[in-house]
Amino acid sequence: MLETLIENNVVCHALEAMIFASITCSILGVIISRMSLSSIGFTMSHAAFAGAALGMFLGANAQMTAIAFSMVVAALIGPVSDKAKMAADATLGVLFAMSMAVAIFLISYMEYMGKGLSASSLLFGDVVSLYREEIYALAAVCFLAILFVLGFYKEISAIMFNMKIAEAAGIRVKLVYYILLFIIALSVALSLNIVGGLLIFVLLVTPASIAGQFCFNVRSMFIVAPAVALFMSAFGVWAAFEYTMPVAPLVALLLTAAFALSVMLSFKRRINTKMN
Amino acid sequence: MSIIDLAGIYTAYEGGEKAVIRNLSLRVDRGEYVVIGGPNSAGKTTLLESINGLVKITHGRATVCGLNVSRVSDEVRRRVGYVIQNFYFDPFTPFTVEQVVMMGRFGRLGLMNRPAREDYDAAQRAITQVGIEDLAHKTIGTLSGGQQQKAMIAHNIAKEPEVMMLDEPFSNLDFHAREYLQGVFKEMARKGVPILMVAHAFDGLPDIPIRLVVMNQGRISCDRNCRAEEVEDIIRKECVVPGKCLRRS
Repeated sequence: MLETLIENNVVCHALEAMIFASITCSILGVIISRMSLSSIGFTMSHAAFAGAALGMFLGANAQMTAIAFSMVVAALIGPVSDKAKMAADATLGVLFAMSMAVAIFLISYMEYMGKGLSASSLLFGDVVSLYREEIYALAAVCFLAILFVLGFYKEISAIMFNMKIAEAAGIRVKLVYYILLFIIALSVALSLNIVGGLLIFVLLVTPASIAGQFCFNVRSMFIVAPAVALFMSAFGVWAAFEYTMPVAPLVALLLTAAFALSVMLSFKRRINTKMN
Repeated sequence: MSIIDLAGIYTAYEGGEKAVIRNLSLRVDRGEYVVIGGPNSAGKTTLLESINGLVKITHGRATVCGLNVSRVSDEVRRRVGYVIQNFYFDPFTPFTVEQVVMMGRFGRLGLMNRPAREDYDAAQRAITQVGIEDLAHKTIGTLSGGQQQKAMIAHNIAKEPEVMMLDEPFSNLDFHAREYLQGVFKEMARKGVPILMVAHAFDGLPDIPIRLVVMNQGRISCDRNCRAEEVEDIIRKECVVPGKCLRRS
């Protein structure tokens, strides 16, 4: 897509992948952070990690099994929370532990069997060895996330405000919530190869947190968060290739630095001392 | 046909020792002003949430606006306004009062449909009706409890409901605000919208015939018409022991 601007294929693919992953995750991150579901980042990334480990164990396509396993976990979050009468955060904790256990079990078992499994690309990402199809898939899920927010904007904003009040207003809260979980699962599973299971949390949470320091309404959060993520990702890719550094951790550090700066500069928490 | 028709309903929560609502029957007609009183844990909030399907009825039949609540609770909630008892909005919640009031219209708009001019007009009318024009552009989390309560009442008025249910809607409001809003609800009742109000404080009730329903341990222990100034006395007599409601012999 950006080949006409960037000659180097590796840099081009890395930039495209980071752009799509950062936009997707940051848009979803705005919803996640307002719904106090930040731990969904951990859970889905480890579900994808467990799925990828399962794929490697079975000799199947790791990305496909990562997506499938994430989908299963995403499908479990809502019904398990409803059935067990637990907060979604507690359910996410249980599913996170289960996913991690599956991943560690499979990796240890394969090592024991002498079939070494390198989990580093899943944990830390490998943005320089991506296939074109993976980038197309990321682009597709990015458009899906944008369409989801545009299509269900009023439902999403009501749910972000207060789930019970949204339900009392007659909004089909569960349907929108379940679609959200599926899109998060898909996005995380596809982004796993790029930023890795450990750093995806940064893309989900940090841009939304930065936007939250400055924005007074949700509409602007949906614009500022992806804009910040996009700029930091593009700058991170450029800096990483220019100065030979790992891409994903650099982007994560840049976003964290931007967050620290935003906390210091935020005018939203200014105390008004006007007497009249 | 009554707009609310409950026939022998039971509502129980998972893990509860017994049903919170037990064999309760109630009919409410258009334009009625119903005050629901009773001691704590009598099942007043559960009754309201059974009517709009937020809580599932475990047994019995509930029909609201001609719809079976157990089958189409989403549709029922689109037609029934419900001001909830407890809410908390964090100070950084990025929604203005105007946006929150507008959300009252979202359910009836249906999935993916955008608000039209008439929806914005309805929200604006609700804001004016409740008298919070000066708060419209403020973020809801920064307002006082009373102002937030007014915003939630406007949210439900904007819905243009066929039934209005209020769960202790005046707990954070001063006397003047209570009296003013009671006038708003009186006007709604005059237009045919039945009002069901759970309350513990009864000052400022409108000077119209009131139907008083007193609940006790999940059942209705008293259901009669009275004047506003009689409500508190009747409830005192019905609930002779503090925290324990006894039926008058």
